Amino acid sequence: MKTENCFAAPPLAEGAAAQPSGSDRTAMGASKYLAGLPSRGLFSSAVLSNPGGIRVYVCDHETAPPEGQVIKTNSTNILIRALQINKQKSDAKDVIAKSAADSNTVKRSAVRTSERRSPPKKTKTSSASTSHRGSSSSELSEKKLQTMTVERLRALLKERGLSPKGKKDELIARLKDEA
Amino acid sequence: MSVWNYVVTAHKPTNVTHSCVGNFTSPQELNLIIAKCTRIEIHLLTPHGLQPMLDVPIYGRIATLELFRPHGEPQDFLFIATERYKFCVLQWDAETSELITRAMGDVSDRIGRPTDNGQIGLIDPDCRLIGLHLYDGLFKVIPFDNKGQLKEAFNIRLEELQVLDIKFLYGCLKPTIVVLYQDNKDARHAKTYEIALKDKDFVEGPLSHTNLDNGAGILIPVPMPLGGVIIIGEETIVYCSVTAFKAIPIRPSITRAYGRVDADGSRYLLGDNAGLLHLLVITHERERVTGLKIEHLGETSVASTISYLDNAVVYIGSSYGDSQLIKLNLQPDAKGSYVEVLEKYVNLGPIVDFCVVDLERQGQGQVVTCSGAYKDGSLRIVRNGIGINEQASVELQGIKGLWSLRSSTNDPYDTFLVVSFINETRVLAMNMDDELEESEIEGFCAEAQTLFCQNAIHDQLVQVTANSVRLVSSTTRELLHEWNAPLGYSVNVATASASQVLLATGGGHLVYLEIGNGKLAEVKHVQLDYEISCLDINPSGENPNYSTLAAVGMWTDISVRIFSLPSLELLAKENLGGEIIPRSVLLCTFEGVSYLLCTLGDGHLLNFLLNLSTGELSNRKKVSLGTQPIMLRTFSSKDTTHVFAASDRPTVIYSSNKKLLYSNVNLKEVSHMCPFNSAAFPDSLAIAKEGELSIGTIDDIQKLHIRTIPLGEHARRICHQEQSRTFAICSLKNCQTSNEETEMHFVRLLDDQTFEFISTYPLDAYEYGCSIISCSYSDDNNAYYCVGTAYVLPEENEPSKGRILVFVVEDGKLQLIAEKETKGAVYSLNAFNGKLLAAINQKIQLYKWMLREDGSRELQAECGHHGHILALYVQTRGDFIVVGDLMKSISLLLYKHEEGAIEELARDYNANWMSAVEILDDDVFLGAENNYNLFTVRKNSDAATDEERGRLEVVGEYHLGEFVNRFRHGSLVMRLPDSEAGHIPTVIFGTINGVIGVVASLPHDQYVFLEKLQANLVKVIKGVGGLSHEQWRSFNNEKKTVDSRNFLDGDLIESFLDLSRSRMDEIASSMGVTLDELCKRVEELTRLH
Repeated sequence: MKTENCFAAPPLAEGAAAQPSGSDRTAMGASKYLAGLPSRGLFSSAVLSNPGGIRVYVCDHETAPPEGQVIKTNSTNILIRALQINKQKSDAKDVIAKSAADSNTVKRSAVRTSERRSPPKKTKTSSASTSHRGSSSSELSEKKLQTMTVERLRALLKERGLSPKGKKDELIARLKDEA
Repeated sequence: MSVWNYVVTAHKPTNVTHSCVGNFTSPQELNLIIAKCTRIEIHLLTPHGLQPMLDVPIYGRIATLELFRPHGEPQDFLFIATERYKFCVLQWDAETSELITRAMGDVSDRIGRPTDNGQIGLIDPDCRLIGLHLYDGLFKVIPFDNKGQLKEAFNIRLEELQVLDIKFLYGCLKPTIVVLYQDNKDARHAKTYEIALKDKDFVEGPLSHTNLDNGAGILIPVPMPLGGVIIIGEETIVYCSVTAFKAIPIRPSITRAYGRVDADGSRYLLGDNAGLLHLLVITHERERVTGLKIEHLGETSVASTISYLDNAVVYIGSSYGDSQLIKLNLQPDAKGSYVEVLEKYVNLGPIVDFCVVDLERQGQGQVVTCSGAYKDGSLRIVRNGIGINEQASVELQGIKGLWSLRSSTNDPYDTFLVVSFINETRVLAMNMDDELEESEIEGFCAEAQTLFCQNAIHDQLVQVTANSVRLVSSTTRELLHEWNAPLGYSVNVATASASQVLLATGGGHLVYLEIGNGKLAEVKHVQLDYEISCLDINPSGENPNYSTLAAVGMWTDISVRIFSLPSLELLAKENLGGEIIPRSVLLCTFEGVSYLLCTLGDGHLLNFLLNLSTGELSNRKKVSLGTQPIMLRTFSSKDTTHVFAASDRPTVIYSSNKKLLYSNVNLKEVSHMCPFNSAAFPDSLAIAKEGELSIGTIDDIQKLHIRTIPLGEHARRICHQEQSRTFAICSLKNCQTSNEETEMHFVRLLDDQTFEFISTYPLDAYEYGCSIISCSYSDDNNAYYCVGTAYVLPEENEPSKGRILVFVVEDGKLQLIAEKETKGAVYSLNAFNGKLLAAINQKIQLYKWMLREDGSRELQAECGHHGHILALYVQTRGDFIVVGDLMKSISLLLYKHEEGAIEELARDYNANWMSAVEILDDDVFLGAENNYNLFTVRKNSDAATDEERGRLEVVGEYHLGEFVNRFRHGSLVMRLPDSEAGHIPTVIFGTINGVIGVVASLPHDQYVFLEKLQANLVKVIKGVGGLSHEQWRSFNNEKKTVDSRNFLDGDLIESFLDLSRSRMDEIASSMGVTLDELCKRVEELTRLH
């Protein structure tokens, strides 16, 4: 049993030795790890059972929750909801895409007009998504790259004509160098 | 029985499903909160241990229990989600000691397939949202706003359909879940998603890990600064985070529960399905994880939840055995275990089978359950009442009184036992060898019956006989002073406290003496109108040596009077009514409430609330305890005062929640009792019963007493055989042989007194014991055990082979007499008209017991009936057979003698998946099904058409919220002929959560009355967390939800007695009856269980 596990994970031979086998070594091991268990001073004196029963709760006061805290589920179908959110986004995006075609000054005014039309929240999401779109060509922060999957990183590398081989960290390094 | 049924819990659920630790009741207090399926228990952690605070019934089966701390709150809130898609958030209000509902709601969806692997509920560690996984492919989010209020919930589509576990990761900017799932090739993977609250969608998260251990089942998120997640598999444990990946092999085991030890998440306790406890350590250097370590600690019950409490003390909640409080020691004991069990909490669950027997032949049923599973399997003997465990006894005829005396006032232990007979008094004392031997107190009069004796102040003893009161020094044992009764009068009854004596002589004379140092002084003397039958001056005020009140029971006018002391002024008089004289009165105080108890010569007990300053009596209540005169005596156990009522049905009277409760004692007849707390027999009682004096200790004072017989294996079926005084069980044992885990099945015979295995019959490989009965056949006087088995072969979906084994008990051994092979699993056996009725897969088969030419016997098939999916549960009554089918509800069959055939008469056409059936009466049948519902069906014999006659009409429906495994006719309580409850037939049921419940069939008028009471109670007693009682008790399965009918919730009705007086008054007036009447009727019901 024990040897089998050692073979299964050679770099973790120590783990196998720490298995529950009752040998002296493990006994010492457990003591080592049991030291310094958290304590706030409870259960400090002899732990006694408390005789007598536990009080049964009889609830004779009003238990309705405060106003507005009866929670229901949004009944909009997930697909329809996604479409609605997408529509809001793409509406905003259209405005930005249009403005991107124009000069920078126009863009700014376009953003301003969109601000007037829709609450600022939505502008934020839309601008976030623009930066996401634009990321294929411009600045790639290390953090953003870290969150991407390897597949996506490879796609980005291919786009740039770079080698898509290697570990994730290498891929990110390569992308960063390129940037 | 009838269609009007009353369902009540006799033993509450004990299966611990969830537990958590947090500051719930106050910011400074640490609480352990335990969920027992339909109840939660709140405990307080103190330096002296766990202190129980509150037991809260929940109108739902708890699926999730979590403590969390919204922003800006000083203490934790409790989140509870129920299996029927309700949730609530509770807050503790320390000022009123009430649970306040902060939020509640319904999280069900109209469409969606309920998850196979159980509901998952989780709360973001940064308290941004609550996540629920209730339906396959959907993840529900209940977001918090920035004030900690909950907002409208929404669903997110989750691609993974077979989800095993979901947890929130710590330290993420956006709430991030990690999902452990299985793909359609049965490979397991973990994946993370960030929850975009604005987009109401998932975004791929930072981690993903494919092709995990095939048995990976539990995720443990690790708090910051380490972060990441631990994935527990059956053969490996993996830690992964954005920066690190560590794996460690473990000995193959299925981990069932984990508990975090340190706040930084570097140590965890893991409990596996064999009950082994391991410590998992994440070794790290600063914030860099360097590896994992696993250490074996020891053995506990098979854990379903582990909560680290404090100071190395851990709570192990179990579904399969007793829950435990354990301590982790720094050094191993002799067996190499670091685990020390501090305390065990009884758990009857899962009750797989049980039988009702009367082992002590007292006319009171006891339930013997097959409880627990795996290594924690046991038999539990559940008895209503309190047990006296006899330590010693001597034969002594004609005892007229019993008192214990200390050798000095300050001695903690009793030394002498004074036993009074008709014309002598004997003194027994503990000698040096801790044996009782006859002794002498020189100053006592040994030639007369003692009426009373008592330790008095100043190291003195008092003895009252018919002629005199003697004051004796307890050190020199010499007579110090004597008070003689006036000539021509003799003392009839007497009582004393440490400094007072009150006695009554013939002619209604009441004499009051006070005890001085070496002196008795007659203080007051009055003559009453009638003879005095009984007296008491048990001090219930502040001074334990001096009473200011005396209670006196009278002949002739049948009254009880309260006098003040020392003036002997009449304060109150209460006529008892009737013609039965009071035989014993007692002043006592329970939980700070003073009572006067008074017993009558016919076994009734009256109790009154007593006002200590005015002597006023109020709140009169009358109960019947037996049929003979009752003698009352106080005693204390575990520092609490109780009253022992000695009679033909001895009873202990105690108080719980300021309510008087009566628990019978497992003794047949007791004439006298006194506490006898000696060094050799601490906390014992001396008991005089028919020709015997015995000394015994008393069990914990509680209503149900449970004795555990650990088996170390899982008992699945049980039955009792009266003739051989044995039990037989079908059990299975898990054997660990090297790598293989094998199951062995047995039929075992146990003695019904010692519960030792006296004989064992091993079944074949793969052969399971499915049913067992004790029966006898026509033309044969022997009692047999019949066992039905099934060969459960791994390659078969449904067993195609089984056996019926017929055993006889000879010389305490199981002897196989006959065996019959069957074409399927023998799910049920019944004795039927001197024959054997077996349910074999889809068939009902009747066997005759035939004598062969060589004199041996065999089972021969007579007739059968097809047409079931699987006939799992069969009950019979006369020629009727009621079958509970796997999924076709209940059907009714009839055996026709002449034709020798079984025919179907009627069936219920609903698709109920049955878990138990029972016949209530000729027409009404009770069923339990796997959505935790109960229902009754009725035969329509008078219907006009054949079609209607062929249909069992559903007449009652009720959501019990418990999975019933077995119904049995019987009762846990002694049926008193003169109480109303004595005529109500009952059925007992046992469930997976360890509930023992009672279904009682009520007369129609009582049912109507109680239904009205229930309707009134629902208005007053609210569901905790705003959950609705009506919805909870509504019959519910995949197909339909309908209001409960023809069943009453006894637990709700009996909680009437726990209400405040004003609330009770309110309900009584809306019911249009007096409060006394209402209380009496509800109290009657509590005596059903």
